[in-house]
Amino acid sequence: MFGYYLDLALHSLGRNKILTALMVLAIAVGIGASMTTLTVVHLLSGDPLPGRSQAIFYPQVDADPKNKDSSEPLDMLDYRSALDLWSAKRADRQVMLVQSTVRLNTDDAGKPAVMMPMLSATADFFSMFNVPFRYGGPWSEQDDAARARVVVITDDLNQKLFAGENSVGRVLRLRSSDVRIVGVLKPWRPSPQFYAIRGGRFAAGDTSDFYAKPEDVITPFFTGLDVNDGNFQQFTCWQMPAHPGHLQDSPCVWVALWVQINDATHVAAYRRFVADYAAQQQAIGRFTHSGNTRMRSLMGWLDFNGVLPSNVRLQAWLAVAFLAICLVNMVGLLLAKFLRRSGEIGLRRALGASRAAVFAQYMVESGLIGLIGGVCGWLLTMAGLWFIRQQPVAYADLARLDVPMFLLTFVAAIGASLLAGALPAVRACRVVPAWQLKSL
Amino acid sequence: MSLRIMLKILQRHALMPALVLLQVALACAILCNVLFLVWQRVQPMVAPSGLAEDELVLVDQIASHVRPWTAAEAREGQLALSHLPGVRSASSALGLPMIGQVTVDYALKSPAGVSVGVNGYFGDGLVKTLGLELVEGRDFLPGEYGDIGVSQSSSGVPTAKSAQSIIITQSLERQLFKGESAVGKLLAVPDDPSDPGYRVVGVVRHLLRNQVDLATDGRADDTILAALRVGDTAILSYAVRIDPVMREVALRGIHDTIKREFGPLMGGESFLRIGTYAERRNEALKSARAALWLLAGVTIAVIVVTAIGIMGLTGFWVQRRTRQIGIQRALGARRSQVLRYFLLENLLIAGFGVLLGMALAFVANGLLMHFYELPRLPWNYLPIGGAIVLVLGQLAVLGPAMRAADVPPVVATRAI
Repeated sequence: MFGYYLDLALHSLGRNKILTALMVLAIAVGIGASMTTLTVVHLLSGDPLPGRSQAIFYPQVDADPKNKDSSEPLDMLDYRSALDLWSAKRADRQVMLVQSTVRLNTDDAGKPAVMMPMLSATADFFSMFNVPFRYGGPWSEQDDAARARVVVITDDLNQKLFAGENSVGRVLRLRSSDVRIVGVLKPWRPSPQFYAIRGGRFAAGDTSDFYAKPEDVITPFFTGLDVNDGNFQQFTCWQMPAHPGHLQDSPCVWVALWVQINDATHVAAYRRFVADYAAQQQAIGRFTHSGNTRMRSLMGWLDFNGVLPSNVRLQAWLAVAFLAICLVNMVGLLLAKFLRRSGEIGLRRALGASRAAVFAQYMVESGLIGLIGGVCGWLLTMAGLWFIRQQPVAYADLARLDVPMFLLTFVAAIGASLLAGALPAVRACRVVPAWQLKSL
Repeated sequence: MSLRIMLKILQRHALMPALVLLQVALACAILCNVLFLVWQRVQPMVAPSGLAEDELVLVDQIASHVRPWTAAEAREGQLALSHLPGVRSASSALGLPMIGQVTVDYALKSPAGVSVGVNGYFGDGLVKTLGLELVEGRDFLPGEYGDIGVSQSSSGVPTAKSAQSIIITQSLERQLFKGESAVGKLLAVPDDPSDPGYRVVGVVRHLLRNQVDLATDGRADDTILAALRVGDTAILSYAVRIDPVMREVALRGIHDTIKREFGPLMGGESFLRIGTYAERRNEALKSARAALWLLAGVTIAVIVVTAIGIMGLTGFWVQRRTRQIGIQRALGARRSQVLRYFLLENLLIAGFGVLLGMALAFVANGLLMHFYELPRLPWNYLPIGGAIVLVLGQLAVLGPAMRAADVPPVVATRAI
């Protein structure tokens, strides 16, 4: 029967091409807009470290003398606190990291020096965050301690500087220091750039910069401090730093600390360790208060910072509301289309077709419109994502359709059109045959 | 035909009109909110800046990686820049229009108790350099300026013993003094009665604030100039007013002067920017413009889809009633009456739809306010959105209604 209904549906769609086109257009535009924005929401709100994120935590203590126990601690750590917590090695893995902008000089005399964002982190960074390597590998803890002049670069930079060859052992010049490449990453694009997130509560929803690419140059933490001394930016200070850009021993917070605690039962112990550390610092007079320590999980920290940009959410709501208009529109057009054929329905009913059969026939027709609308909607979604990739936002390059969203496009299109078709189909199967036959 | 009969007909075949009504309501709700969002983003773009826009060059992010700049260095730079060929004047400034990276917030409280949060610009001779139009009072006197810098105090703002001189905008004068002249009057710091506050010495016509996102709903001109000179600071910036005829010469001169004066300590790694006002404006409004395109797309799509829906439904509605129309025509109804009937009917349906839509718009705005910190939708967007949808409905129904008017009376004589 399905084949016959499909045949009928195709025939009927061909009969009034303009109306069919309008319906397909309505469903396609609605699906296209919704799927474009929902794909962006989906890509931006995922877990950046699936399977690992629940073991990653962001400890915070508060060195700001102007804060109280009731205030939210500052978003980053001062150098002393970060160093103390990191060197205690109480977690399974711990990473101190800081970002800065560094001048990268290339060997070729012709090329000018470029300013590059640089990440300086301790050795656990790569293992803790599952960072994949193409060539070479991470540096060791000894390299951290020895302030070894080594560096890991991203695939992007390796393509740019060495045309994608194995560049391990080659030398880069960061400002006035030579650093040896020990590792080259595979393409790595966490979404968001979770390890660098902070200050979301001050961003008033404009958080698209949280989706920036990882830094192209990654050095050991202390090496970075040496190499790029004088070029570090504070998150904030409670007093003017004596030497701008050189922030060790400054009244500023500027270092992030991440820890990995694999065993959930140890989390409370680490939390206590952080609180005890703050209490001890208060006892020796370095802190004025110690009651507002925090240790949020990775996802908790992302939530706290409201990572999903508010205009992305707003667009998603707009698109869904727009889809609702398109659906109501389609209900109307389908109703018009089906009831125009009341005579035909009356004839079928008079010849013995049951109401269920008429209903099924019109649902097949609605579903077919949904399928065609889905294909067009998918094309429009691709176009919409292309448009987003042209936008000047940090997450632009992420906007691509993945398999689940691709499937959802068709499920949504067919589901929406079946939903829209239900009422018209019910009306169609309630047509009274005798009246229609009389007027033929 | 009377309204009562029209309503009765609609009642009897309620489904079609109900669908049109629902569509109109949804379209109206979305359009009201989208128009509001559009206006929020358009306002900063159309707000008058009050500046000599064609003559302004902005220099910022002069940062030393060795030590903070001293007040003397800041002044030397200003002097060197203002003596360049093609340069009319230059000011070392803190806070510049269209540069949102460095903003200074002030809170002002009028004697009548009105409080306003404003952006402040500091710098020597900014009225002249920015090309502001003084409408009342006077510019700052040379002796009035205080120094502001890192070493003055930890929070950056010096605690003066006497009230600080400020220049405000006409819009602020209206908000704070309700039509009276502000010149010579005192403004207090809210929640700090010990602070001597600010004395208004002059009023300029316009001055756009540099928190561009906040330049909406009559807040675009919430800006003051304070009689403060830039003292020692980590990051220097300059406003330079040039002779537009000598733009190229002046720009080259500015580049060379900045390199010469500050280059050695900047070490070639700063984010120094030298750009005309037009360039910086373009940059500052980039994201607002992108959002605007998107909203424009949504608006057009909503309008097109709604129009298609109304056209399709009414077309079918007309077709169903072909015979009735024929009878009416046969009984003496004119074409124009049939046309008017369908237009009026659509107006009636769309009118109810708009009423429902306005209520929906209000609810949707309440949700948006709750989740996205949007301001409350002003009530005047509701009739605007409603009117657009009503006109749209009338245009969409025109085609089907004309088709109805063309139904010949002879249809009535065919099989009934």
